[in-house]
Amino acid sequence: MLALVPLVWLVLTLSFVVLQAAPGTYADAIDNPRLSPAGRAAARSHFGLDRPPLAQYGSWLKAALSGDLGTSFMYRKPVARVIAEALPPTMVLGGAGLAITLGLGLALALASTRRPHGWADRVISVLSLGVSGVPSFWLAGMLILVFSIGLGWLPPSHMRSTDAAGLGAVSRAIDAARHLLLPALCLGLVGAAGTARYLRAALLDVRASRYLLAARARGLSESRLLWVHALRPALLPVVTLIGLSLPILVSGSVVVETVFSWPGMGQVAFNAARARDVPLVLGATLVGAVAVILGNLVADLLYAVVDPRARRPS
Amino acid sequence: MKPTAPLVLAAALLAAACGPSGGREAAPAETLVIGLAADLSSWNPYLAGDAHDEEILALVYPSLAVEQPDYQLHPPTFAPSLAASWEHSEDGLSLTFHLREDAVWSDGVPVSAEDLVFSWQVQSSEELGWAWGDITDAITRVEAVDARTVRYEFNRRYPYQLMDVNDGPIVPAHAWRGIPLEQWQDTDWLPRVLAAGPYRPAGHTPQQEIVLEANPGAAAGHGPRIPRLVFRIVPSSTNLVNQLLAGSVHLAGGVAPADAARLQAAAGIDLTVFADRSYTHVCWNLARPPFDDPRLRRALAMAVDREALIEVVYDGFALLSLGPVLSSMWAFNGALEPVPFEPAAAARLLAEAGWQDRDGDGVLDRDGAPLAFELLAPAESDTRQDVVLMIERDLARIGVTVTPRFVEWGALQARMDAGDFDAFVNRWVEPTQIDLAGIWHSVLPGEPSFNYGRYANPEVDRLLAEVDAAPDFAAQKPLLDRIQELIVADQPYLFLVENTRLVAHSSRLRGADINAASIFFNIREWELAP
Repeated sequence: MLALVPLVWLVLTLSFVVLQAAPGTYADAIDNPRLSPAGRAAARSHFGLDRPPLAQYGSWLKAALSGDLGTSFMYRKPVARVIAEALPPTMVLGGAGLAITLGLGLALALASTRRPHGWADRVISVLSLGVSGVPSFWLAGMLILVFSIGLGWLPPSHMRSTDAAGLGAVSRAIDAARHLLLPALCLGLVGAAGTARYLRAALLDVRASRYLLAARARGLSESRLLWVHALRPALLPVVTLIGLSLPILVSGSVVVETVFSWPGMGQVAFNAARARDVPLVLGATLVGAVAVILGNLVADLLYAVVDPRARRPS
Repeated sequence: MKPTAPLVLAAALLAAACGPSGGREAAPAETLVIGLAADLSSWNPYLAGDAHDEEILALVYPSLAVEQPDYQLHPPTFAPSLAASWEHSEDGLSLTFHLREDAVWSDGVPVSAEDLVFSWQVQSSEELGWAWGDITDAITRVEAVDARTVRYEFNRRYPYQLMDVNDGPIVPAHAWRGIPLEQWQDTDWLPRVLAAGPYRPAGHTPQQEIVLEANPGAAAGHGPRIPRLVFRIVPSSTNLVNQLLAGSVHLAGGVAPADAARLQAAAGIDLTVFADRSYTHVCWNLARPPFDDPRLRRALAMAVDREALIEVVYDGFALLSLGPVLSSMWAFNGALEPVPFEPAAAARLLAEAGWQDRDGDGVLDRDGAPLAFELLAPAESDTRQDVVLMIERDLARIGVTVTPRFVEWGALQARMDAGDFDAFVNRWVEPTQIDLAGIWHSVLPGEPSFNYGRYANPEVDRLLAEVDAAPDFAAQKPLLDRIQELIVADQPYLFLVENTRLVAHSSRLRGADINAASIFFNIREWELAP
């Protein structure tokens, strides 16, 4: 794990360099011609923007090593606090999206492979292919149009109703679930379509394998064949997908969060980059970089669980 | 478990969550839900950012007087608010306010003259660097004559004294004085807010919602009729419209013209449209040839079909812009003639300036160089990008090549500051105080200024100084008229359109006088029918 520290440092340093190379700084936004030269200098000095980039980087790194990620220019709050506020909503949404990706993907794959090339398989294949190519902003718009405006079933945005504070615990949970459903569907549907397609292909391969034929010949039930013998090896490509999906659990989706007014990391990082809020961009990058590394680690560990060959010493 | 069971379970869960009880959030009539494009940047009015922040904070903090939206025929008048009355000294160098007896902060402490003295100290502090700090430039001293009387002294007599004093937010001295100004930027202000306006904060979930509740300390019989306001942050303009249509938002302070038809056709939604005191223009870089030639600038203006621009880009919700003062303002020079749309005459004028298609490639040239330039617009504004594309089309017809370039706002600002541009499409929001010097007075190279195009006309500079020294509005008007004539003749900007603001709201909202002074102008009188 310690070997990953230089990797994280490299990612953060590159992010800092890219931010410095990008045209415009936060100072441009606060350099108000209405202020006197002294007023402008005071504003720059407050954010440390009057110092050379290398000095800014050095101070940031020194503080970061002691656990202080600095203060966000635009939110005027400690970066750690901004992230701590944005991370839970992103994880809830990302977790629900991942659950849909896996749950729905698995269900669709199972339904498809029950009768390969049957009508259900064909319908699911066509729909999966269609949904895989749909951009999330379009899908979000359609979900809102149908379920919020057309049918009036689900709220079009936000994490809770305006009167949620006055509800009981159960009603509040239902209210939160109703708000979560559309963005989670938007985030999870495309992944579910992909998962279904991967898993279908893997399941069909496994079903055609000789060891499964032998198991069937031994008289095992169809459900035991599927759940015990076929599914586990077929899950290998899905494990890769899980590993790749983990970073989005903490880094968020700009599009889905913006359309559904979900206050998560995607919006925070996007707004920070636009405002050249260097400490916040670096803080969000740190979270994302760690998530990517952990995602890969989790995928490796899951491989070992799913595939006994991966546990063998080489 | 059969393989189809997960599908059935998922469908059942979906059906249970959707339930017919509805996604239309039945907001009770005592709560008005308002859609906001961006979150409040600070609860401290001296750190808050844009006009939307100011509109919200004006519901919480008191103001001496309320500016009236009557600036069409004369400078705006003011109605008493925290100040029951005020009077100028005979020499016009001091202004005394008498505060209402019943005004109190939400902690029960009376709003006093000391609060105004403290607020002025904050406004003029270079340590804090308040964005509008220059309104205090002419104020030399603020004195608490007694607990309810405060006197402002000025270094000169000028007509905007009341407006300058009134534009400074009033904050509680007894609660905030103990916090050093150098710590203000990093202070969490929500727990420290004391209200003396109609509402007080009742909650703030970042990037989600701001909740205000009626301030019990508001003067008896003068509190708002709607007890609770919820501002929901909706960054996506499309979703804001969706929320209006779904009934989960009652009021949206700014919707795009393209959405107007859809909202007008919807049952239960009303649209209020008014001139929003802003204009969109092309700023030419006068320091860079060929834009240093006024004939060329006039010719380009004559070749752009601004009526078509209004119809196509703004869906008819905009007015022709004629000059640097908005046509809705008292100071507007009504004698100004619009630059006509005459592409043939534009081509002749360009020929006079030496621009002709000598090599037959369809593009005008002079001394071997084609007439081509880059027109910038912020990537965040679809409207301004559409404007650029319309201009590109119109100018191509007379042989001028425009290269549209859409850059992110931060990058555009950096190029504007550095003078690194040919031209860009911009929008100015004009205060009711006519201040032409900030944009039109000449500047020295490297000096920060809103005069990005580096316009310089000594006659305009001289007249601007005279305006500054004029003791009253009557003396200013002829000077302002002449300045407008000179600027329009010089065409340092291609004046495109005056924008309108479209406010969409539920038909249940009654008694609302939504106008350019503030969409919450008479919020105390608003009611939300069940």
